Amino acid sequence: MIDLKLDDCMGDAAPLPFPGRESGLLPDDAEAFRALYLHIPFCKRRCLYCDFATEAIDALAAPVRTYVENLIRAVRRASREDLLGSIDTVYIGGGTPTFIGQGLLTEILYTLSLSMHLTDEVECTIEANPDSVTLPLVRDMWALGANRISIGVQSFDDGVLEVLGRVHDADDARRAVSMAQDRFENVSVDMMCGVPGQTLESFEESVRCAVALGVAHVSVYPLTIEEQTPFARMVDEGRLADINEDFQATCMELAADVLAGAGYARYEVASYAKPGFACRHNKAYWSAVPYLGLGASAVSMVQGPAYRIRVQDGDVVERIGADEALAEDLMLGMRMTEGLSQDMVDAARLVFPEFDSVARDLSGRGLARWDGGRFVPTDLGWLCGNELYGTLLDLAPSL
Amino acid sequence: MSIDPRYIRNFSIIAHIDHGKSTLSDRILEQTGTVAGRDMQEQLLDSMDIERERGITIKSQAVRVDYVADDGQTYHFNLIDTPGHVDFTYEVSRSLAACEGAVLVVDATQGVEAQTVANAMMAMNANLEIIPLINKIDLPSADTERVRAEIEDALAIPADDAVLASGKTGVGVHELLESVVYNVPAPQGDASAPLRALIFDSYFDAYRGVVALVRVVDGIMSSGARVRMMATGAEALVEEVGIRRPAEVACDSLGPGEVGYFVTGLKDPAQVKVGDTITSAVGGVDEPLPGYRDVKPMVFTGLFPIDSDDYEDLRDALERLALNDPALVYEPETSHALGFGFRVGFLGLLHMEVVKERLEREFDLDLLATAPSVEYHVFKTDGSMLSLHSPQEMPDPGEIDHVEEPFLQAKILIPPDYVGAVMDLTVARRGTFKTMNYLSQTTVEMLWDIPLSELILDYFDKLKSSTKGYASLDYELAGYQASNLVKLDILLSGKPIDALSFIVHRDKAYDRGRVLCEKLKAIIPRQMFEVPIQAAIGGRVLARQTVGAKRKDVLAKCYGGDITRKRKLLEKQKAGKKRMKAIGNVEVPQEAFMAILKVDE
Repeated sequence: MIDLKLDDCMGDAAPLPFPGRESGLLPDDAEAFRALYLHIPFCKRRCLYCDFATEAIDALAAPVRTYVENLIRAVRRASREDLLGSIDTVYIGGGTPTFIGQGLLTEILYTLSLSMHLTDEVECTIEANPDSVTLPLVRDMWALGANRISIGVQSFDDGVLEVLGRVHDADDARRAVSMAQDRFENVSVDMMCGVPGQTLESFEESVRCAVALGVAHVSVYPLTIEEQTPFARMVDEGRLADINEDFQATCMELAADVLAGAGYARYEVASYAKPGFACRHNKAYWSAVPYLGLGASAVSMVQGPAYRIRVQDGDVVERIGADEALAEDLMLGMRMTEGLSQDMVDAARLVFPEFDSVARDLSGRGLARWDGGRFVPTDLGWLCGNELYGTLLDLAPSL
Repeated sequence: MSIDPRYIRNFSIIAHIDHGKSTLSDRILEQTGTVAGRDMQEQLLDSMDIERERGITIKSQAVRVDYVADDGQTYHFNLIDTPGHVDFTYEVSRSLAACEGAVLVVDATQGVEAQTVANAMMAMNANLEIIPLINKIDLPSADTERVRAEIEDALAIPADDAVLASGKTGVGVHELLESVVYNVPAPQGDASAPLRALIFDSYFDAYRGVVALVRVVDGIMSSGARVRMMATGAEALVEEVGIRRPAEVACDSLGPGEVGYFVTGLKDPAQVKVGDTITSAVGGVDEPLPGYRDVKPMVFTGLFPIDSDDYEDLRDALERLALNDPALVYEPETSHALGFGFRVGFLGLLHMEVVKERLEREFDLDLLATAPSVEYHVFKTDGSMLSLHSPQEMPDPGEIDHVEEPFLQAKILIPPDYVGAVMDLTVARRGTFKTMNYLSQTTVEMLWDIPLSELILDYFDKLKSSTKGYASLDYELAGYQASNLVKLDILLSGKPIDALSFIVHRDKAYDRGRVLCEKLKAIIPRQMFEVPIQAAIGGRVLARQTVGAKRKDVLAKCYGGDITRKRKLLEKQKAGKKRMKAIGNVEVPQEAFMAILKVDE
């Protein structure tokens, strides 16, 4: 679990660090950041499967206000340092951004609109939880420049939501989607599959419910049991059934069928969108785009000609060279339907002489295939992603 | 200047495993001031890490202890700590041959057990004066009187004067030391006779070559003398003699009755064998001391590096270990499934585990061990006989006249209530019941003939669990007998995997094959494709199972902060795969090769 170190980043003396001009973590030859992430590490309560950087707290508590003030300072400073001039996607995630309330969210969006060009062309997503979406909040967010809302619905089945320890029920979820749609055309819902106790019928019903609500985007995730979560302990103690990978696979196949039939294109292993609604911010993560993360535990990616650095809370957490970065791009590229472009394949061949034999092996194992000049994942490659990604990452094994 | 034998006492401490022998030895060293308290490590005599960790003694040790007795006289005790496990029976017998007395340690809560009997018999056969000692009397469950009665009933050793002690608290250690002075005879020996000395252990020192522990029987062993090892015929100059306290202290010579070490500069441990007699190269004796024999391995296993690049490292490591462990034998073996490795012979299962652990730990090797096997004698139709150490070498059935396998004479001690359970278990393991004696009201001795191959299939664990832990076991090789044995092949994806094949009694083949297929199904992780598992004899399939294809593996969100985690996860997964062996395109975990050991009937 990520240590929030909230104490460290609270208060005026310890602003939220990021790889800015004065941090020493942003080399002169670094490419401009093109995606911006703001982290809100607060929730009403922690879900049983959650290992994200978040803390259950009273939304009115002083630390929340202090944190937001520091986050605003960080945005202003990033702007003054001219880090936000090329940003074309913004994502406010958590935690639960909507949990901190309309007032504080408004301050954040207002700051953003002063600090960068928050035009209609910039994709600006707010992550939301069904229980904290209100109509006034939706309208304010829209008015202040947000144009995409991603709601953590997970399921439209009350039984499943209860197992997950979510604070909302199915009615809340339906209401939240409808309210969001009062202003937003680009509404996304997250769906979870393979939850203990969930049946295939229940999952299909939930996916169909999302379709019926007319959302623009659906993400489908299999539940994973992360270490040091209540779920992990419950599985260890035999109080919760462990993950059934076969069932999850069946769910994911079903989701693909249902969503394809309803006009949603699968553009990434877990992401489906109506035409024009693929999430540009998420695609940035998979396409070698440098991103700036502001807030506790938010990760930034700094990239130059011969390096790629990931920075978290002011510390370099990963530093890789150009070869490893390329292998990573191949791995991340294969998450997406478009796979690897001819240009990426050419670049890979240049750097990794064994690329073609690896590609042949992957094709032979049914994990990927050639589509004209592109190298793209198969359905099996998506389901058995670790096989596929591991093989590609191995092109440049880290020492 | 050698010591007056009248003030020498050579004795061993013998016990069933876990009865507290090594702890007691530690207390003796402490109370005689041989080792200062601050240097005291738990179980000081067990110098190997694994010995200390497992609480067992693998190598023999000898320590010179000076003890000022209540009579005011200083006595020189040579305390010889012996291995406590049945795998090392021969080493125990040689250590005992170096002594005049033995302290027989019996746990006050456990009483007489199989190795207590076996060790006491050995000590009696070696004509040693036995001092019974009831240990762990500080424990609440100690039953001193019952144990005293058992010693008398089961071993016919008078136990009225048994020393009551606790290695843990040190109680009774003084009484023990006094008892050694008065009850253990001083060594006899003629200082003017030609040299005769017994090697009872040896180890390899990188700088000095082989260092041997020795007991001088007659004559004087001096630094600078030329000596001959009578069994191996090797001759060498004695470069150094000395005693161990337990640190080595060099001296000029060792006289009759003395125990110490010597160094010759010989580098090959095969030339300095445990049990051999040393005499002077010129004017030596003709007759060696009795009891020498070649130690022969009983259990064989294939050891393969998981990463085939480590083959050379494995060879070097085995070479290094064998320097200290003459019982360890190995020869190269090639497996279609596992590549290049070694067939390694061991004294028994414990010996095997210890060696494997040392190879992995001290030499940082990732190893794959195949199921242990025994030495089969295959008599072929052309009249020749083949000694088989590996199932792979089994000839075609058409060429075989008959096969013999090693049998053990096993001695099992149990409370009478468990006779039925032991009967069931041992008959199921092809044991033949010989006889049964009541050693006391609470202890029954059962004698069995049982194939060694059955014993190494977790028989001891099963015996323990079916007797609530009360059973104790001792055994010795009883010779070869014909059995109806066949080679059972295991096929993965239709291909026979040599490293998984094993030899089994025909009557057991179906059951073992079926259970093993089930076990393998549980052990082999799902792959990208179906993996059929089959058990077959000569092409006839007896059992089959299928590992279903993996439909999905972990797939989590992968956004900004997740990418580093994802990379680490994939690296971890790769490391996990490194612990597996790719056979064809099937990833097989190490446990698969040991699964045959755990086939519940």
